[in-house]
Amino acid sequence: MRITCPYCGPRDLAEYTYQGDGNRTRPDPESTDAAAWNAYVYDRLNTAGPHREVWQHSGGCRQHLAVTRDTLTHAISDVRFTRDAGQRRSDGHRKAGEPA
Amino acid sequence: MVDALSPLAPVWEPGTHGDTSAGIGVGLTELAPGSIVQAAAWPGEEKALISAIAAVAGLELPDGAGGGVATEGKGAFGFAPGRFLVTDQKEGLAAAIAERVPSAMGTVTDLSHGRTALRVSGRKAEWVLSKFFAIDFSLAALPVGSGLATAHHDIFALVQRAAADQFDVIVFRSFARSFWAALRHASAEVGYEVS
Amino acid sequence: MSPRRADIGGGRIDRHRDVRFTFDGRPYSGHPGDTLASALLANGVSLVGRSFKYHRPRGVLAAGVDEPNALVTVLKGEVREPNVPATLLEVYDGLVAVSQNRFPSLDLDFAAVNQLAGGLFSAGFYYKTFMGPVVGPLKGTRFWMLCEPFIRRAAGLGRAGTAPDPDRYERMNAFCEVLVVGSGPAGLSAAKAAAASGKRVVLAELDARMGGQANWSGETIGGRPAAEWAAAQLQDLAGRPNVRLLPRTTVWGYYDDNTFSALERVADHKARMRPGEPRHRHWVIRADSVVLATGAFERPLVFPGNDRPGVMLARAAERYANEFGVVAGRRVALFTNHDGAYRAAGALKAGGAEIVALIDVRREISPEARSAALAAGGVFLTGHAVVGTEGGKALTGIKVQQYDAAAASLSGEPRSMAADCLLVSGGWSPALHLASQAGAAPRWDEPLQAFLPPEAARNWHGAGAFNGRTDTAAALSEGDAAGRKAAGLTGRAKAPPVGGPGLGSAPAPVFEIKAPGKAFVDFQHDVTAADVRLSHREGFISVEHLKRYTTLGMATDQGKTSNVPGLAIMAEARGVPIPKVGTTRFRPPFAPVSLGSLAAERFGEVKPERLTPMHDWHVAQGARMYAAGLWFRPMIYGLPGETVEQAYVREAKTVREKAGIVDVSTLGKIAVQGPDAAGFLDRVYTNMFSTLPVGKARYGLMLREDGLLLDDGTTWRLGENDFLMTTTTANAGKVMQHLEYLLDVVWPELKVHLTSVTDQWAGAAIGGPKAREILASAVTDTAVDDKALPFMGIVHGEVAGAPVMICRLSFSGEMAFEVYCGAGHGEHVWEALISAGKPFGLVPYGLEALGTLRIEKGHVTGAEIDGRTTARDLYLDGMLSKKKPFVGSGTMDREGLLADDRVRLVGVVSLDNRPLNGGAHIVERSDPDNPRDSIGHITAACYSPALGRYIALALVKGGKARHGGRAFTSDPLRGRYGPVEIVSHHFYDPEGKRLHG
Repeated sequence: MRITCPYCGPRDLAEYTYQGDGNRTRPDPESTDAAAWNAYVYDRLNTAGPHREVWQHSGGCRQHLAVTRDTLTHAISDVRFTRDAGQRRSDGHRKAGEPA
Repeated sequence: MVDALSPLAPVWEPGTHGDTSAGIGVGLTELAPGSIVQAAAWPGEEKALISAIAAVAGLELPDGAGGGVATEGKGAFGFAPGRFLVTDQKEGLAAAIAERVPSAMGTVTDLSHGRTALRVSGRKAEWVLSKFFAIDFSLAALPVGSGLATAHHDIFALVQRAAADQFDVIVFRSFARSFWAALRHASAEVGYEVS
Repeated sequence: MSPRRADIGGGRIDRHRDVRFTFDGRPYSGHPGDTLASALLANGVSLVGRSFKYHRPRGVLAAGVDEPNALVTVLKGEVREPNVPATLLEVYDGLVAVSQNRFPSLDLDFAAVNQLAGGLFSAGFYYKTFMGPVVGPLKGTRFWMLCEPFIRRAAGLGRAGTAPDPDRYERMNAFCEVLVVGSGPAGLSAAKAAAASGKRVVLAELDARMGGQANWSGETIGGRPAAEWAAAQLQDLAGRPNVRLLPRTTVWGYYDDNTFSALERVADHKARMRPGEPRHRHWVIRADSVVLATGAFERPLVFPGNDRPGVMLARAAERYANEFGVVAGRRVALFTNHDGAYRAAGALKAGGAEIVALIDVRREISPEARSAALAAGGVFLTGHAVVGTEGGKALTGIKVQQYDAAAASLSGEPRSMAADCLLVSGGWSPALHLASQAGAAPRWDEPLQAFLPPEAARNWHGAGAFNGRTDTAAALSEGDAAGRKAAGLTGRAKAPPVGGPGLGSAPAPVFEIKAPGKAFVDFQHDVTAADVRLSHREGFISVEHLKRYTTLGMATDQGKTSNVPGLAIMAEARGVPIPKVGTTRFRPPFAPVSLGSLAAERFGEVKPERLTPMHDWHVAQGARMYAAGLWFRPMIYGLPGETVEQAYVREAKTVREKAGIVDVSTLGKIAVQGPDAAGFLDRVYTNMFSTLPVGKARYGLMLREDGLLLDDGTTWRLGENDFLMTTTTANAGKVMQHLEYLLDVVWPELKVHLTSVTDQWAGAAIGGPKAREILASAVTDTAVDDKALPFMGIVHGEVAGAPVMICRLSFSGEMAFEVYCGAGHGEHVWEALISAGKPFGLVPYGLEALGTLRIEKGHVTGAEIDGRTTARDLYLDGMLSKKKPFVGSGTMDREGLLADDRVRLVGVVSLDNRPLNGGAHIVERSDPDNPRDSIGHITAACYSPALGRYIALALVKGGKARHGGRAFTSDPLRGRYGPVEIVSHHFYDPEGKRLHG
């Protein structure tokens, strides 16, 4: 399998590390909702078909990528930097650098 | 000032090696630049950082992923979004660039001791490097000056094409001796010269 | 002994030169270009192996990668390479090959009596005889134990050697726009068309000689002999800079995104390898598109005695004649179900053989085939079939009977005919393997009685016999079209005219002649037609079950000749059409692959390792080195005559009494930089870092998202926005990825850059009562007294002219300093510190002493932070900030992580004054006969010079509550049992006074 990194171009699977299901939402850091944390840590979709997942180009630019991959065919329909994917952002956290 | 010791010093064997019946396929050498520096820009600050590098190192980086420039004794290229590697035979480059890069623009990290730069050159350079990296080293895919980040199993490497048949491979220092041994091993069938 | 070299063809061999080799110890000669098979046939050798189960004599059946019988072992000194097809093995001066699966010799094989016990070894023999309960002396699993040594010797193929393989193997990465697999007329035509585009073309051919059947078809292409046409095409391709020709290269795997694996046999055909030359090269080729011109495999017909030496595939015999100048027999018969086979009779007749009989199951054949048959001569019997073969280790004759193909029935009396060679052809099976690997299921074609390639699901284009088109003209035009498509070109080249007999290859649907006697389907695994029917009777009707039960198609040839006949017999037994039985999906590899080529550079001297800047010094001082992951670290610096324990005890003791120095360069080091760096550290560490002043360090604890411990280490604030984080050696990569994930995925708004600087810094930790004095004498440009360098303070200075950064922190519990310098100065600074320490009795110490010192102090490492423990388990809850959330804070208080029965950190002292072992259990009652009821385990153990006892750290249920209690160590693996006392893990200097000198 090859993944086309938005920066590096198409590279072999060996350069990437699977970093998990891309459909998880991290609860607010202050949250004490045990069910929400449990879902974030343990629940994974097991999609047969197009699936959103996170890969790191660990043997390249080291960026994390939001990859949409069909688990039945390995066909990859979309790859972008996770930081551009505009998803799974936590809200409500203190602004960067703000003292606690 | 104390000279930095090369990790290859004990295994340095200048001369020709391997099967030289068809000539020397590749030349292998250590570049030992005085400065290896990573400069990294925050999103949106890439152009400003490129200007800072130009002002300090005199290297005009082209725009675009992996774009780079190589001149005698100096080189710079992008290897990740907003991240550039700059090398110079002169020492002290990290501090000089850092002066031009305020924290709002990005960061500068001195890697002069932490990375080892090897040069693979000659008509068989692409052939030898292709044994290590799943990278298309053709001139069309990797033009002169440009660079990239890749890996050979555990060994993370940055590669810059310094000339048509000349590649600089920058590896972590602790891996340098292993990688050097592997490079010699891989070069044996085409004949190589260590200089 | 009837095969021989003839004065025909032989374009592949150089008759002017001789090559000498031995087979089973006997010397032979051949010519350069010969395969072992062709050379043995030229020498009249027709018996080349014994079969897998029955030890039946076997000869050469095929001429290529499909060969099931002629497998040999190649010997190079002590190194054995078993199961090499003689049909692919090129002879060279000094080649030593031996036959397989025979004892004591090929001619006289005792185990051939297995044939007489045929019923015993039928399909399912193992399951029926050796599984299940003992119901008699000759049944059941225990019987298997008794028989196994005998059976393992008796059944099987070549024997692997035990001598190390001295050859080198390499991997090569390649990129191209068009990969062409197969260099017959279709592949050549495709390569030529694609090459014209200027795009990069790779042409791979598994054989030594490119050109495929152009080399032996006897046809003309463009008015000249096909072999000459092929040579001209190849010369043209070789001259193009955008074309790479790869002969002797088997493309064996078709993976996602048009990535191909191929094995190039670089030096198997050479008497002597060049320096540095690999024996095999594993190519990984990424191709935008691929042309599959892989040809087709000829199928044998299944009839009794069809495995006798002298029975050969018709096209193979034609190939031996035309390509190698070897005629497979003097009196040759042919048995077929289609027109195309008659060409072989002509080729052998041209080589001087007498064609004694032509037997065709069909009553009607085409006029072209009829005239080819009449030209060949001999008895011409249509509507007949071969029902048996005669002879011992070589064919002497065949038995023929009238046959009605429609009714599949024999009639009349069998008649015998003398023949020393029987050519068989049961039609063609396209070599679909790569297309099948790429996904879709093949489809059955009734006229060709063959599975044809599926629709291309990926970017591949088929051409020629692969598509079922066995005529050369079609191969040329399809190749051209496929090559153009693959290269993105349009148009069409005018195909050169082809001259030849023009025989079709659509066969009558006859696969098996049912007559008494063993009729083989899978020659290599000795699977007979009766075995296939037996498996059907026993309920194994799916093709996948058939395969596993009979092992049909599971030998090293992967059923290249046997797949379709096996399916046909099963279909007949079930009374369904062949496509209903289905075909198995082919999986890589297409042909056997050397493990060496897959391991390539991950083996032996080129396996990567990581060395610290002081590595050479350690080795020169006689340190015993220890592999910690990829790193090499000193374990002890032993003195002559010292045991490991004596050495580490001496080293640790010296640290406590004077001073010691240890290489800590392997600690993971991450530069955390940017305006949000401090805030980021607050989020990832359980404790606060934004309050850390510049020039100070702090110990930090990191949790995983699930609330368990991830890692610990100190982080140094070098500037307002500039931190140096250290991690444990083993977790450096894991921590880096964890942090990168958080920055990329969770908090992309933070302005923080992470860079691995592990290799930038050499680190030496110098500790002990004399450490400060030593440092003061070695360091210039800074003071190192309490005021300038308080606990957890950082200063910058120089050692012997090299800039250093010193942090006062301690792992050993003594007053200690970590001295960091540029890695290139590491050895220089280390040596300066060593000589500065000499007057004070400084010793270097290794990992064992380091472990001892930390166990005495109760400091945790990876042995305790083992992925199962929490901060509370290790009594580190004081580090869990209540003022801010951090990674893991939302999950660390889950019920299970707070439960009372969790194992928690304690100290353990041996009460019988014997060593304790890491991994040993702690139990409340010792019962060596029945070890049970573990309450925890020892994580790390040592002899403590400070306490004069054997001590350990352990994770034990109840933790602190057990302090002062008795328990036992229970270590059944090492047979170590004994009483212990459970104590605080702070064995030594619990108040930490020594830290401050």
